Amino acid sequence: MNTSSAVTLNKPAAAARRGRFSVAKTIVILFLSILVVTQVYPLLWLVLYSLKTNEEILSGSFFALPHAPQWSNYSAALEGNYFRYLLNSLFVTSVTMAAVILLSSLCAYAISRFRWRYGQGVMLLFLIGMMIPMQATLLPLMIIFKNMHVLNTHLSLILPYVAFSMPIAVFILSGFMKTIPHEIEESAVIDGASIWRIFRSIILPVSVPPVMTVCILTFINIWNEYILAATFISSEKLKTLPFGVNSFVSQYSVNYGAIGAFLVLGALPVILIYFLLSDKITEGMVAGAVKG
Amino acid sequence: MSKWLSLAMAGALAFSLTACGGKADEGSASSGAGTGGDKAGTVKEKNVTITFQNIYPDPTDPKNKLMNKLVKQYESEHPNIKIELDSLNTDQQKLKLKTQAASKEVPDITVVNPAAQMQPFVEAKLLAPLDDMLDQNGLRGTFQDGLLDWYSFDGHTYAVPDGNNIGVVYYNKELFEKGGVQVPTTFEEMVDVVKTLKSKGIQPMAIGEKDTWTGSFLFMNMLLRTNNGPGFLKDVLDKKKTFEDPAFKEAVDAFQNLIQAGAFQEGVTSFDYNAGENLFKTGKAAMYFMGTWATGGIETSSVNGKVGVFKFPTINGKGNPDEFMLAPGSAFAISADSKHLDETKAFLNWFMLNFPKEAFEAKGAVGIGQKVDGDFKAAGYSDMAMEVLNLFKDVKGGDLAFDNTMNPGTAQAHLASIQNLFVQKKDSAEVAKEHQSAFEANNK
Amino acid sequence: MNVLKVSRWTIAAFVLPCLILYAGIVFVPILVSMYSGLLEWNGIGESRFIGFENFKNLFFHDPVFWPSVRRTLLFAVFSMAEIPIALLVAILLKRYIRRPNFLVSSYFLPVILSVVVVGQLWKTIYNPASMGGMLNQVLEVVGLGSWTHEWLTDPSVAMYSLYFVALWQYLGYHTLIQYTGILNVPEEIYEAARIDGADGFAADRYITFPNIIPIFKISIVLAFIGSLQAFDMVMVMTGGGPAHATDVISTHMYNMSFLSMKYGYGSSIAACLVVLCLAATFLINLIFNKLEKRFS
Repeated sequence: MNTSSAVTLNKPAAAARRGRFSVAKTIVILFLSILVVTQVYPLLWLVLYSLKTNEEILSGSFFALPHAPQWSNYSAALEGNYFRYLLNSLFVTSVTMAAVILLSSLCAYAISRFRWRYGQGVMLLFLIGMMIPMQATLLPLMIIFKNMHVLNTHLSLILPYVAFSMPIAVFILSGFMKTIPHEIEESAVIDGASIWRIFRSIILPVSVPPVMTVCILTFINIWNEYILAATFISSEKLKTLPFGVNSFVSQYSVNYGAIGAFLVLGALPVILIYFLLSDKITEGMVAGAVKG
Repeated sequence: MSKWLSLAMAGALAFSLTACGGKADEGSASSGAGTGGDKAGTVKEKNVTITFQNIYPDPTDPKNKLMNKLVKQYESEHPNIKIELDSLNTDQQKLKLKTQAASKEVPDITVVNPAAQMQPFVEAKLLAPLDDMLDQNGLRGTFQDGLLDWYSFDGHTYAVPDGNNIGVVYYNKELFEKGGVQVPTTFEEMVDVVKTLKSKGIQPMAIGEKDTWTGSFLFMNMLLRTNNGPGFLKDVLDKKKTFEDPAFKEAVDAFQNLIQAGAFQEGVTSFDYNAGENLFKTGKAAMYFMGTWATGGIETSSVNGKVGVFKFPTINGKGNPDEFMLAPGSAFAISADSKHLDETKAFLNWFMLNFPKEAFEAKGAVGIGQKVDGDFKAAGYSDMAMEVLNLFKDVKGGDLAFDNTMNPGTAQAHLASIQNLFVQKKDSAEVAKEHQSAFEANNK
Repeated sequence: MNVLKVSRWTIAAFVLPCLILYAGIVFVPILVSMYSGLLEWNGIGESRFIGFENFKNLFFHDPVFWPSVRRTLLFAVFSMAEIPIALLVAILLKRYIRRPNFLVSSYFLPVILSVVVVGQLWKTIYNPASMGGMLNQVLEVVGLGSWTHEWLTDPSVAMYSLYFVALWQYLGYHTLIQYTGILNVPEEIYEAARIDGADGFAADRYITFPNIIPIFKISIVLAFIGSLQAFDMVMVMTGGGPAHATDVISTHMYNMSFLSMKYGYGSSIAACLVVLCLAATFLINLIFNKLEKRFS
């Protein structure tokens, strides 16, 4: 590459780009801001929705504000075991995430680094399984779980949630682990570290960014899951949040406002956790990037 | 592949071992997989948990409240019995029951729909016959005459219903006045009413056709008229008639007539049942054909006091307006494999005995399946409710909905076909042919 | 490529727990389900072995199946076509915004919302103008009244309306993933390129794109999977209707298995879905292996 002329050629363009009033930058910022509005609007809409009466919801125009905020919708939603459902969801989701991370990082490491015949085969197995919709497995799983006597326990949810989340986790983690420089492991081996030691002290810490990604993806996928939850859980004590929300639609009448409130209450934990985690992601990512 | 299978089996086995040790959860939660053989009939009362699957999940619904009240009362009177409520919405419950049936995990008490919809479960011997239970405490007599027939097969009754409704046309008196129309006495008048209202900018009818049974319900009422009486589907099942019978085609024509006259709201097939009903309940539609279970919801809405009902009229002079679409309600059934059969029967017996009284007091007794003694007017039931109750007295017969008469495969084809008519016009001969081929394909 | 040599026991210890759980919970049921495709079974009663008759009916006599396959594949294509847009947004974010975390997080919001919320929201947007539907109302106001449609009930546009919702919901998802990928490209490379005079989109062509291929592949695979599995959203918004106009493979399978109580037949549809996934997996793997070879 001819450096000198390239430099002179690019100078004015580069300068323009760095300038504060560049047209391109303004357009981009405009575009990105509009994007924010379209993405965030639903939440705003939902909150407004949860504060309206049934009639306002169905008859009102799109942008209407509620006449008087119906806080009673929230009390109706909270009346129905909300905290119990929330706790159940938190419990199931966190156990699932922990299991997923543990099991899939082990497996991903093996696939990406060990020399063995079946590595690619196993990866392929996971890929195939990723695409199966859960409904296809509902009936057989029911029979399996019945025979294992785990029906109507949280285990009947944790097991399939973990199993269905593993392919993506393995996929992402192994993809990342392939890019870890081999020198790290080689030097550790030379120092006499066992494979477990290497895994625990070197690989895992380095893998924080994709682990965070996996966390988020898993969390999102299972937090809102309700089909398996509705089928395998029968006691009120054990129901998870989306199950509770969906049940709220009663046979012949629907309390839309309360559903809205319930949905807001259901989305709140996710949003909070997401925003909290997103900071950690940045930290992890920056650390990862610096390590290069 | 076999290597993986054996690995998988080994894994499953390993997990079953851990699982049995595992959950420090409520041990009695696995009420199906009962520990401790509680053989009933013994004087010693073991602790028993009964799973009560139901479709009243909304805590603001009067049925939910009365269910909870009765359950708590029973539990306090029988301290050794615990009743676990599994409340789901209708679709969830149907799916769950089917899944549970496949693995023989039917809960102690579950919910089924009459006739053809519950038949597969009866044939698979999943439900316990309730004849002895009905004879206890005279429960059988509390039900309206003939109602239990819809839940009986081969001389045994397998479920007890929570309701018995009929199809009527609700109308908004105010909107009728505004549009300058009268209650129609024939179908032709009804179409004229639709056209008049539409020309005045008033939405003539509402329906929630995303839930395909609503359109089917309306259509079947028309078939009831053009067939000059009930039993068309039965005749088809008995091979005495086919769907290409002129009565059927006439019904299709009438149905399309109504649609093409602009009776229904725009985008009708994306409105689910509640959205459709709410159009009427917010005063945006003048007429609404539905089962009488809708009465309660209409009473608590903003159009209360402005609503009347009328019988579905004759078509081309055919049919008897005293014949209605019959909608026997969803019913409670007991699992044949229940581990606490006697206790469950005893509970259900007590529950259904007290049901009418509680429903009456909670103002939810319109459309109940049992006889209720009581002065409705004095109890504060609305004028419209009284009108509806009077209609019940006129019932001289009728038909069940399509999906309660035909097997699910045929029913689904029919539902899709009817839904299609809302979106495009079709030749009635074609529709008839569609139905007939679907029937033949599903009833080999 | 250097790989570690470890004992077979270690390999087993790393891999087996994961694999057993996965195989037991995902694969065994799939195989059982696929076997059920050979039965005539309503799901609760007796079953009857009928060989490939379900498949025969499915391929030759089912008017809903092939259109549903077409819609599913189209869905996949659209979902994958969204990735480059997500990549563009990610690049713009990195280049022009100093602290993009808040933006990235807010783009992600629709993904977190449950499908019930998304479905309800878009139903009200797509409703006819007379029922308060935003889209038609806006079109009318700006004078584009002729562009109004019955978005969810007109068979010719309904499916596209659904595609759009899915794309809208997952834009943030893929933007986040691509953004993560971009951040992992070391700054030094960009700086070195800048010194050499390659900046802006030129830099992207030679640096970003090649390095981001693994991440890009992840997004493509996820998008593809998501579209194949799309079930909830279709059910909530249209139920597959009107008259099967928006049925995709998974909704057709559900209707057959659970509503028409033809569980055997529904399982044969599931089997087809599995085969489709297999084929797609091989194809995607093949393409990306070639791409990786070309760029590394």
